Amino acid sequence: MRITLTVNEAKREVEIEPGETLLELLRREGYKGVKKGCGSGDCGACAVLLDGRAVNSCLVLAAKADGREVVTVEGLALWSKSHSRYSTGRAKGDELHPIQRAFVEEGAIQCGYCTPGMVIAAVDLLTHNSSPSEAQIREGISGNLCRCTGYVKQIEAIKTAAKRMGEGADD
Amino acid sequence: MALTQLKEYLRPATLKEALTLLREGGKGARVIGGGIELVLFSPPDVTTLIDLSELSLSYIKENQAGLAIGATTTLTQIIEHQTVAQYLDGVIVGMLHQVASPLLRNLATIGGSLASANPWSDVIPLFLALDAKVTLFDGKYHSIPLSDLYPTRSHLSGSILTEVLLPVPASGTAASFHQFSRTGFDVALLNCACLVKVDAGRCTVVRIVAGGTPRLGAALPAAEETLMGMELTDETIEQVAHVARESADTRDDRRASAQYRKQLTYVGVKRCLQEIRDRLAEGEQ
Amino acid sequence: MTDAREKGFVVVGKSERKVDGIALVTGKPKFVADLDLPETLHVKILGSSHAHARIIEIDTSRAEALPCVACVLTHKNTPPARYTTAGQGYPEPSPYDTRMFDTKVRFVGDRVAAVAAETDAIALKALKLIDVHYEELPPVLSIDEALVNGAPVIHDESDATGIYDASRNTAADIDITAGDLTQGFAESDVVVETTCETQYVQHTPIEPHVTLSYLDEDGRLILRTSTQVPFHVRRIVSQVLGLPLHRIRVIKPRIGGGFGSKQEVLLEDLAGLVTLRTGRPALIELSRKEEFIAARTRHPMRIRVKLGAKRDGTLNAIEMEALSNTGAYGSHGLTVLSNVGSKTLPIYNKAQNVHFFGKAVYTSLPVAGAYRGYGATQGYFPLEVAMDELAERLKLDPIELRRRNHIRSGESSPIFEKLGEGREGVAQTIKSCELGRCIEIGAKRIGWSKKRGKRMRDGSWVHGVGMSVHMQGSGIALIDMGAATIKMNEDGSFNLLVGATDLGTGSDTILGQIAAEVLGVPLSKIIVTSSDTDVTPFDVGAYASSTTYVSGMAVQRAANKVREQIVKVAAGLLEEDEDSLALAEERVKASSGQSVTLAKVCQHAMYQSGQFQIIASASCVPEESPPPFMASFAEVAVDTETGFVKVLNYVAAVDCGVAINPKMAQGQVEGSIVNGLGYALTEEMLISSKGRVRNPSLFDYKILGSRDIPPIEVILVESYEPTGPMGAKSVGEVAINAPVPTIANAVYDAVGVRLTCTPFTPEKVLAAIDAATPGDL
Repeated sequence: MRITLTVNEAKREVEIEPGETLLELLRREGYKGVKKGCGSGDCGACAVLLDGRAVNSCLVLAAKADGREVVTVEGLALWSKSHSRYSTGRAKGDELHPIQRAFVEEGAIQCGYCTPGMVIAAVDLLTHNSSPSEAQIREGISGNLCRCTGYVKQIEAIKTAAKRMGEGADD
Repeated sequence: MALTQLKEYLRPATLKEALTLLREGGKGARVIGGGIELVLFSPPDVTTLIDLSELSLSYIKENQAGLAIGATTTLTQIIEHQTVAQYLDGVIVGMLHQVASPLLRNLATIGGSLASANPWSDVIPLFLALDAKVTLFDGKYHSIPLSDLYPTRSHLSGSILTEVLLPVPASGTAASFHQFSRTGFDVALLNCACLVKVDAGRCTVVRIVAGGTPRLGAALPAAEETLMGMELTDETIEQVAHVARESADTRDDRRASAQYRKQLTYVGVKRCLQEIRDRLAEGEQ
Repeated sequence: MTDAREKGFVVVGKSERKVDGIALVTGKPKFVADLDLPETLHVKILGSSHAHARIIEIDTSRAEALPCVACVLTHKNTPPARYTTAGQGYPEPSPYDTRMFDTKVRFVGDRVAAVAAETDAIALKALKLIDVHYEELPPVLSIDEALVNGAPVIHDESDATGIYDASRNTAADIDITAGDLTQGFAESDVVVETTCETQYVQHTPIEPHVTLSYLDEDGRLILRTSTQVPFHVRRIVSQVLGLPLHRIRVIKPRIGGGFGSKQEVLLEDLAGLVTLRTGRPALIELSRKEEFIAARTRHPMRIRVKLGAKRDGTLNAIEMEALSNTGAYGSHGLTVLSNVGSKTLPIYNKAQNVHFFGKAVYTSLPVAGAYRGYGATQGYFPLEVAMDELAERLKLDPIELRRRNHIRSGESSPIFEKLGEGREGVAQTIKSCELGRCIEIGAKRIGWSKKRGKRMRDGSWVHGVGMSVHMQGSGIALIDMGAATIKMNEDGSFNLLVGATDLGTGSDTILGQIAAEVLGVPLSKIIVTSSDTDVTPFDVGAYASSTTYVSGMAVQRAANKVREQIVKVAAGLLEEDEDSLALAEERVKASSGQSVTLAKVCQHAMYQSGQFQIIASASCVPEESPPPFMASFAEVAVDTETGFVKVLNYVAAVDCGVAINPKMAQGQVEGSIVNGLGYALTEEMLISSKGRVRNPSLFDYKILGSRDIPPIEVILVESYEPTGPMGAKSVGEVAINAPVPTIANAVYDAVGVRLTCTPFTPEKVLAAIDAATPGDL
């Protein structure tokens, strides 16, 4: 069957099997930043934004995304510029969402496999709760498993990003 | 690929149309909200999916009957809703914060949570304790107590769950929910939900439900009876919790033994009732 | 060579950002499965449904007849020679007991057949069409069952080699002694003995094992694979497939975690063979379920420790007996067993009488392999619990007992020489050790004296604190080797080519920092290429905590050689003495004040006169394995009604030598601790009476998530290791050894029960509390 969806602000018309998942579709269409870690909603590596909310794309049927907006980690910087209140419109060539920048700076990335999904979950969190407590941050990424970092620096990075976004600046 | 035999994915615009499609689709037809269960378990006989998301069943309304939540409302939408946060001191929101993960809650619908009846469900025990009612549409709307739906869920065949209604809490009522799990992103080893209404210091309505035993949440009538007409004191709570432990029908599974679950039932019921007692006492001040 | 520390580091010692950070955070397609090649075949593996059986007949005709199936492999049409899957140096100290496809299956999930088809779905369908007739054999489901007289023999094949005693299901056996144990215990005033058991756990890297193989334009076999050991993969695949080594290229792109599970040749032989047979690319990705069942695990063990000490607490005798379950195949069986003793016993070098012995035993169960800590993790459990028991008997503070016994700088232990990795070890004297300060700092931070023995109550929760001390190693002395090549570019940048394997550990960054430090440039001027067997020089790979210490030293040496070449050219350009020149801030600077840019130097060497490519290679074989040290502390609260253990605070004080990149070193410790906490509290592979894994999913095998971690404080207590690059040792493994004994000791402080069996699930803890005598609480 044919569906039309928007991925990272680009309208895409694609042919799908009714039973395939959004994860399979996205990777097939070249969005390799969306990772498969378990295929059962247990690890969160496949998280994308669906109409602005983070979901496990391995559990969303591609057909369900018909007519909807998907944002993957590859599209975050773009999306943040058009959707956010904290976009500073700063220098071009700045391709990072504040959360992505904070992850890099705080050493919150080791192997990087869980990172896209983690960042997507963090975007959902900070978009709906601009100054979360530590407990709320932990809950916000509770569906994203990481085996490398122990979550310590990821939580720090989200705190840093929240602070920066709250201050309205990317600096 | 998840559902290899799936041939059709349909999005009806009206409830009547959805029902027709369900009936015409026969054995291979299913309705879905988020669809998590189906994608996860991929039953090979599913050939037709009927997505209910376009039927305007995502709503949360307060009316004279109580708090009405549409079936395709996601768990996240419920958590974030102001009115729900106020229902019985936030007991529903408190429970939902312990369910799954935000990623799953953004996709999971209340209708799906109630219909799929996973034995570890946290939603069902609390909603049972709250005396929830569900509305089913089979051409006409029918309202039945949530408890009538389980364990067979026979009411669901050939009809569509459209709404869950939580009654207006009577004054002097408090509810509580506790669950025990291995990690923060895990299903319950055991969960408990209690609701108590106190009139002139005595319990006049008592609901005590234990779930994940490992079976689906079910009431513990012996424990409920023990508390009826009594005051909520340390002694009575201890006694009720003890009866709960003795009467709970727990089993062994991979996660925990029947024996340990009995202990968790005792502790869970005790802590729920203590919390209820403390909340009612605060309310009086 | 001047002492690098005196110079004041510019790049080393800074928490530079990972060189691959931006690519990873923006989701660039850098992982194995992110490369789409036309005509790729999808390979699926049929695993045995029996724990122990002979394959009497296997009929693949129906599978082969299915449209879009390109090839089907079984024992009938694949190479029969035995090898080891263990990614170790040659000759591997693991038995050659594995065939690509055997006529016998030895665990549930063992390879029976494989199908390569156009899509995953078709391959899976074809698997179902393979008819296998098994003759079931009685399985062996525990160490004890394996050692019983007359037990079924798991490896009864005639062509296996390197098995200690196949008839007794014993893959490996070790027995080493220093001093005289009988006398040692006789002289002791106090003797304690404890036995601990550990469970099956899995690494659960978020990226499962995955390999993509294809033929390049010259018909060479390219293996793009998620591995920790690219060079061992190349050699072993060459050996297994009978393909000349020079016709194989192994490339490791970014990989999504390994922790030891990818120090193994699990898929490359299979993908490679499919590509050779069909001419097409082949992709194999293990499902998460297969990752649990048919990848690798940590060796479950039962270890007994007996300590004899004088009244003043000085240890006089240590006996450690280890029984290790290596699963159905023996990869890493001997070496992990060796490490149980070699990385633990030296820490208490005061004991001159030491006996370490044990066996690695075959069972019809999931295969164990390399897992961060590599035996030391299991060994520290009974050792550090026994130390706490000893402290109690002697009425000494546990910290004081460690102080009186731990090894110090300038000291040695007979164990270093007697026990290596599967053979004798290498004698060494400790040259850097800040364990004493680690203990002191950690104890203060956790509030030890305020909290120990207080059993503060909070409702049904009781608090306690516990500690343990640890060491590991840095590489394998005289066995590991790593090499580096550095070549200069005319803009003053350098290509750094290293065989060393970054599994997310950030070694590309660390090694780049070392080169940048020597060459006087920012990290951005070092372009790191790693783990490509055609392009980068040899490295054993990422294991044994070798990358910083061994590969880093190779980088330092190569960089120094390049520096010399640069200085020579610059001396000519500046007309200065070479001795007066130093590299800094991207220039060559003379003490006279003159300077020239590195770019100019290289342009001159490349284009102008006496042209040559400024380039150098260097290798490092370490002569010793200087241990990193750690003191670990935790505060717990135990719910006496439910047995739940909540970790309230965790403090880790770590001496890893000079931390090349402090944030990354902290990250290694944090990740190790959280992994270790899962090992201690929640993780367990449950096995049925038929040898089947009952919980092969992340839904039911619980690793810690963000809501489960305690506040973790990591304090790097720097020392200077003179044999290490820039003074560094290692930090990749040591911390994972700590949580189990630390938590066990903290729980004892809280509720007076000795936990000797991991994981410490609430149900187990409650049972232990209930069984304890009333006075304990």
